[in-house]
Amino acid sequence: MEVDIGKTIRISDFISAADGRALLLDTTLPASVGASPGLTHIDEVLREVTEILDGIIVNPGQAEHHAELLGGRRRASPLVRVDWSNVYRGPDFCLPAAQFKHLFISDAEDALALGASAAVASLFLGFDDEAEAKNIESLSLLARDCYRLALPLVVDIRPIGFKVGPGNFEESIKLGVSFMQELGADVLIIPQCEMATCATIGNWIAVPVLVRLDEIPEAGQVEELLKTGLRGIVVGEKVIAQDDYAGQLTKLAEHLHYRRPDDGALPR
Amino acid sequence: MVRCPGKTARLNRLFNPRDGRAVCVAADHGWMSDVTPNVMELRRILELVVRGGADGILISFGTAVRHGHLLRGKDSPAMLIRADWMNMPRLGASNVSNVLPVVNFKKMATSRARDALLMGASAITIYYFIGYGDEFEAINIEQAADFAKECRKVGLPLIIEPMAVGGMVTGVNIAEILIASGRIAAEIGADALKIPYTGDVKSFKQLVDQAGVPVLVLGGAKSDVPRDALELVDEALRAGASGTVFGRNVTKAKDPEKMVSDIVALVHGGKTIAEILGERRALGQRLKPVPTQCVGCQLCEVACVRAHTPGYGQTRARLRIQFPPLGDELSPIRPVVCTLCGQCVEACQPGALTIGPDSRLVLERNLCTQCGACVEACPFDLIFTENGYPVVCDLCEGDPECVKWCKRGAIVLTEWKRRARHVHAE
Repeated sequence: MEVDIGKTIRISDFISAADGRALLLDTTLPASVGASPGLTHIDEVLREVTEILDGIIVNPGQAEHHAELLGGRRRASPLVRVDWSNVYRGPDFCLPAAQFKHLFISDAEDALALGASAAVASLFLGFDDEAEAKNIESLSLLARDCYRLALPLVVDIRPIGFKVGPGNFEESIKLGVSFMQELGADVLIIPQCEMATCATIGNWIAVPVLVRLDEIPEAGQVEELLKTGLRGIVVGEKVIAQDDYAGQLTKLAEHLHYRRPDDGALPR
Repeated sequence: MVRCPGKTARLNRLFNPRDGRAVCVAADHGWMSDVTPNVMELRRILELVVRGGADGILISFGTAVRHGHLLRGKDSPAMLIRADWMNMPRLGASNVSNVLPVVNFKKMATSRARDALLMGASAITIYYFIGYGDEFEAINIEQAADFAKECRKVGLPLIIEPMAVGGMVTGVNIAEILIASGRIAAEIGADALKIPYTGDVKSFKQLVDQAGVPVLVLGGAKSDVPRDALELVDEALRAGASGTVFGRNVTKAKDPEKMVSDIVALVHGGKTIAEILGERRALGQRLKPVPTQCVGCQLCEVACVRAHTPGYGQTRARLRIQFPPLGDELSPIRPVVCTLCGQCVEACQPGALTIGPDSRLVLERNLCTQCGACVEACPFDLIFTENGYPVVCDLCEGDPECVKWCKRGAIVLTEWKRRARHVHAE
C-alpha cells in the first residue's frame, strides 16, 4: 500500500507522471540580492512561462503575491524555497557578503499553506564545519516536517564554499547527493558537472535528480543528460535574462518531454 | 495579486481603494527614541492626526492599549502596530544627547502578529536593518521571516521597513542598498514597504518598480520647513510610491492636523504644493538678477536643469552665472536671466514665440521654422536650441526653481510691466 500518497501526488505536479521528467525555473535569487537581470518583474516572467514549465521555485513572498499565476492543471506548480542565504552576494553587489549566512525563512507548514508542491532548501558544502553541521541539522528537521505533512522535499546541492575547488568539485556533488538521499530528500538538484559524475549519480540514486544549468542546452546535450539517468533541468535567472527565453524554454520543454523513458514512472 | 481574505480586507482599510494610496503617521518614537514633547503629548497629537484625515497610525503596543480607542469608527485611521524594538537612536558613545547612550546595536521582536490582531490592528510594522554586518542582517531576516509566516497564518498584513545603516553604508551605495533591500523584503513576505527616500525620483522609481509591493515613503528627520517635507512626498509620488508614513514631520509639526491634511491633499487630493501652501504664482512677474548677492555657487543652474530635464549639470540651463574675467576681482559675479525683454519675440517672424498672458515665453512649435532668429536676437545669449527648436525660460510654470534654490536672493521675482507689442495672446 502507498503510504506516502500525498508526496507522490505532489511530486507528480512538477515531475511528469507520464515520462518522469521535469523542467523547472528558479526565481529565488532576488531574496539575496534584490532584483537581478531577468527577474526584475517576476509577474511578467511567470505569465510568460507558467504554461511551459512543470514547476517554478519561488520565495514565500512571491508565492503569495502571484498565486494566481501558479498551480493547477495548466500552470507550473509552485515549489517554495524555505531558506535564505547571503552567499550569492558577490563583489558586484552593493554590500558584498563577508560572512556566510544561511537561515530558514519558511517551513513545511507555511509552504503547504502557500500551495507548494514541494519545499526547496539548499545544502551548502565547503564552508566551515559549524555551518555545515547547522545546515544538516536544519535540513533534517525540515525533512521530518515534510514527511509528516506529505510535502516533498527538494534539496538544492550547492558546493560553493571556500573548501571547494576544481579538484574536489565533482566529488563534493556526490557527497552532497549521498548525504541528502540518506537525509530523506525526495528530489535533488545538482549543479552543472561532468557527464561522468551525472552518470555515477544517475546509476546509483533512488530519487529523481535534476541538474541546474545556466544556459539552454543543445538537443544533443539534453539527450546525453537524460541517458545518465538524470530526470530533468532547472534553469535560473541567467536563462530568463536572455532574449526570447519563452521560445527557448518551449523548445526545451518539448524536447525534454518528447523522449519517454522505458520505465515511464516515478521512482518509489 | 492574490492574498488571503484577511490580508485583503485589512489592506483595504489602510490603502484607499479609490486610488490605492495611504497617508500614515508614525507615532512610535517614545518606544525607541528620546522623550521629546511629541512623545509626552502623544494623546493630543494622535487626536490631531485623526482629525487631519490620516489613513493609518503606527503606534507601539502600549500606546494601542492606552489610546487605541481614538481609532474607533469606520472612518478612523487603521491601527498599525510596531512589533519590534531597537536602540539605534541611542547608538554610539558620542550620542550624548541621549540619557543612556548604547554601544551595541540591538533589535528584538517584541510582539506577535496574533497580539496585534487581537488589538484590532490592520497591519504590523517591523524593521529590516541592512549594512550593519552579515550577522545582524541575518537576525533581521530571520525575525522578518518569522513575522511573515505568522502574518500569513492569521491574515494580517506585514509592512517591512528596510533601513540602510551601519559602517558598510555610504552616500555612494545607499540608494542601491535600499533598492535591493526593498525587493528582498518583498521576497520574504512583506505586503508593503515603509522605506526612506533614496534621494532622487529616478532611483526611487527603480525601488518602487522592483519591489512589486506598495511602497510608503518615510519622512526621516524633521524638515526645517513644511515645504521640504511636502516636496519629498511629491517626488516619491512621482516615482510611483503609494503614500507616506511620516513621523516627526507630523508629530513635531507646529500644527500636526494641518500637516496631515496637507499630505492628504497631496496624496489623495491631487493638489500641487503651491496650491496647498497657497503660494503666489509668478503671474505678471519676471526674473530679476541681484548681482550684489550672488556668490557664484551656480546652484540656480543646477536647479534649472533639474527642473526641466532628467539629471544634473549646468550646460542646459536657461540661465547662467557670469564670472568676471580673470584678474578682475572688483566686478561682481552676475546671474544672467531672462528678463522678458521681448527681443526674441520681435525677431520671430512667424510669430512662434510669444509672451503669454501669464507673462511666460511660449513657443508654438508648429509655427516655428527653426530659423534661429531668436537665438541671434537674445542679448543675453540665453536661448539654445534642441532638435532645432529654441529652448527658452518658462519660469518653471510660474514657480521658478532658481528663485527657490537661491538662498541669498541673487535671483528674485519682480513685477513685469507687460508691453502690448510683445503679447500675442492677450
